Amino acid sequence: MTIGLSFLCGLLASSVSYFMLGLWWPVALLVGGFAWLAFGLLDVKMNSTFTLLGGMLLIFCVSLSAMVLRANDQLSGLQFANTQDEEGTEFRYPVPLLGQARYGEKIYKASGCVACHTQQVTHESVELDVKAMAGEKNHAAAQEAVSRFYRSTGRKTSGGAALGLPVGEWETIETGLNPADASKARNFLAAAGASVDVQVRFRGEDLMQNEHSNPEGRGWGRRRSVAQDYLFAEPPMLGSVRIGPDLANVGARHTRDALMRILLNPRIIRKDSKMPQHRFLFEEADEGEQGRHIIQDGDKAYKPTADAEALVDYLLSLKGANYPLPEAPVNQPFTSSLPDPAPAPAEEAAKTTQPVEADK
Amino acid sequence: MSSKPKEDEAKKDPREAVDRSCCGPVLFLAFSAVAWLLVYSFFALLAGVKVHASGMMADSAWLAYGRIQPASLLALQFGFLVQLGLAVSAWILSHRGKTVLVDGGYLVFGGLLWNAGVTLGFIGILNGNSSGLEGLPMPGEVLPLLFFGFVLVGLSLVQTNNRRTDEEMSPAQWFLFAATLWLPWVLAGSYLLIHFFNAKGVVANIVDWWFIHNFVKVYLTFVGLGTLFHFLPAMTGRALAGRGFAQFGFWVLLLFGSMGGVGPGAPVPAWLSALSTVTAVFYFFGVIAVWVSLKRTINGVTAADSSDSLAYNLMRLAAVIFVTVSALNVFFAFPGPGSVAEFTIYGPAKELLFSLGFVGVTLIAALYHVFPRLAGIDFSPRMTRIQNAAIILGVLGATLPAALGGLMSGDAVLGSGFYFASVGQLLLFVGSLVLFVNLLGAVFFAMKNCGCLSSICCGIKKKEAGT
Ligand code: HEC
Repeated sequence: MTIGLSFLCGLLASSVSYFMLGLWWPVALLVGGFAWLAFGLLDVKMNSTFTLLGGMLLIFCVSLSAMVLRANDQLSGLQFANTQDEEGTEFRYPVPLLGQARYGEKIYKASGCVACHTQQVTHESVELDVKAMAGEKNHAAAQEAVSRFYRSTGRKTSGGAALGLPVGEWETIETGLNPADASKARNFLAAAGASVDVQVRFRGEDLMQNEHSNPEGRGWGRRRSVAQDYLFAEPPMLGSVRIGPDLANVGARHTRDALMRILLNPRIIRKDSKMPQHRFLFEEADEGEQGRHIIQDGDKAYKPTADAEALVDYLLSLKGANYPLPEAPVNQPFTSSLPDPAPAPAEEAAKTTQPVEADK
Repeated sequence: MSSKPKEDEAKKDPREAVDRSCCGPVLFLAFSAVAWLLVYSFFALLAGVKVHASGMMADSAWLAYGRIQPASLLALQFGFLVQLGLAVSAWILSHRGKTVLVDGGYLVFGGLLWNAGVTLGFIGILNGNSSGLEGLPMPGEVLPLLFFGFVLVGLSLVQTNNRRTDEEMSPAQWFLFAATLWLPWVLAGSYLLIHFFNAKGVVANIVDWWFIHNFVKVYLTFVGLGTLFHFLPAMTGRALAGRGFAQFGFWVLLLFGSMGGVGPGAPVPAWLSALSTVTAVFYFFGVIAVWVSLKRTINGVTAADSSDSLAYNLMRLAAVIFVTVSALNVFFAFPGPGSVAEFTIYGPAKELLFSLGFVGVTLIAALYHVFPRLAGIDFSPRMTRIQNAAIILGVLGATLPAALGGLMSGDAVLGSGFYFASVGQLLLFVGSLVLFVNLLGAVFFAMKNCGCLSSICCGIKKKEAGT
């Protein structure tokens, strides 16, 4: 088939998939490109520059729109979100870099900290525990809902719920559920009129350590990082290699003094540290100079330059993985002391952010 | 390859005319490429040593690990691989097309611009003006310079290809032609999106990953494969078997190599990671098709001309490395193994194995074949043996232990693999130093013997002065 004819076939295939099947446009383009290639490959003489150029241009446009422009469409509307800190004070997130921190970001960029440090906390999976409470009126229906849940997920009945739901008391239905099963349990029970409570737990090496749910945690964040965290980063220095720890949340881990020492000579703090010294950010202190900012390293005393101060301001501002967001909640304990347990929005969010994980 | 080329002789043997037209421009690019390889290996060695001796040169901001490491990668990718790739592409396109290299002056001028761009980028990073991105770490201002430099070189290559004597293009020509056009497209696209439209937040990273993916999976791969597709049949004296496989491979590699490169846990919408897994799997089908075609061509034969056997064996090694790394890539594209390997030094080690072990070795082997034909003089055989051993052992030594160590010890832990890598880097440095001296010496002697080279080089000098 000649190149022109196969191109028409591709065009046809992509219009059919876009207009008639209602596929999303990059997919439709892909389908068209495929059809073109498939028909063309039957008997394309790749002798003309036109064949090559045409194919390449099409693929370039598909690649640009399917990967980059689509992502841009989706992410360019990101706005502030509400969150709360550990004390429960609400604030708008993310917070723009204040004071010298913006300049510190430039120092971070110029010194190439990104060669050894990432700024992205990941998680491996979400687990949910479900509890339910039935009243006297709906007890039978709730009991039925529980067995229906066990049947439909193929899980073994276990624990107290297997013996029958007590009336007016919280009872654990199942622990360690994936988001799909948890939402099933919630729907069945809620339909039967029972109160449902869900606990969300995240697992992952990067997250906070927890003896039960996350024993391997390295404590680099309370939640995973999401695109929202980098709204004000210029550019986000996500990094791809970790020779040192992740720094997305370093501001919540260290004090100013500790950070200064890590920059000057990390072996002041840890003997065998592999972090290189950044003495060029410091200058030797004068003889009799005193103060908290003076750092003794061996027999020399150093004081930070303005660059070092700004860099540490920036590091202290890095608390990305600390505050819960709708699309990236932190661990949520049972709230069953409340009279009317709220349904868990977290599981939906977890589902949309990590479908791949959720399928496991 | 006579020392005194005559016009009538050239008419008798078109190859001679082709080689004469290529001589100056190709050797110029090849020479600057090898110089950048030396720069790369020196700074990569230094970066490795700086990790072991954390207090070394800590007073110098210019020599901070975070600066010399990305700068060295820039020298490797943009200085060495791209330039040697262009040099070899120019030679192959004019040989395959049986036509003289058109507008060699563009090629030299574009090469000068490109070198200026890489140098400014290199100094910019050392100077602290890095863009903070990984694929395009150089300051944004040098990207237009690189773009125009490449486009000028590309103009010459595309015109040469258009003047080919055979109507039908061979696979080698498809791959090299596509590579020559693809890099300026993605370079311009990334520049516009990141620096001109100021992509916000993680969009800048997504564009950057897109660039890296295109650069490695399309540009570098196509240059390497195009070179293999020319030389493996040419050296064995066989026709390329399985042209249909090559064609299938070409389109599949292009389509699926142009999307992806987002890690499994990246803080971006999850479909990007899923898309990357999907494209990585489909990409491998293209790799298999190409492999079948090459394998059937060279199965059981050796180089027809014994003077080519070194280059031929190097290329076979490179092809094996290509397939191995591609297979590893599919395996680690799945979220399970992927999240084990993510953020460990497996990643950079594998990239290095691919870019130096596959593309670099292929191009160096091509240089062994091309150089004597252009300069009329061969490399010193003893030095060639040393540099080959050092470069191959260096590449393997700098990558295999580090990759394995990275997988075993995980991220944020520096295992002993890193120490072995420095031994490899040292060998690599020795190898590229010998290669550089070897090339320098050969060019020096060739200038003395071969009229064509010195006359063209003088021509270049005149042009330089003019522009
Ligand atoms: C050669 C790679 C390398 C570079 C470059 C580097 N670091 Fe580090 N960094 C490390 C390593 C390794 C550690 C772990 C140190 C230890 O084990 O004590 C570390 C630790 C740290 C810590 C302590 C983190 C924690 O959670 O305890 C901070 C803060 C830090 N680095 C900041 C920086 C900054 C800022 C820069 C840029 C100026 C930088 N690093 C550049 C390798 C590097």
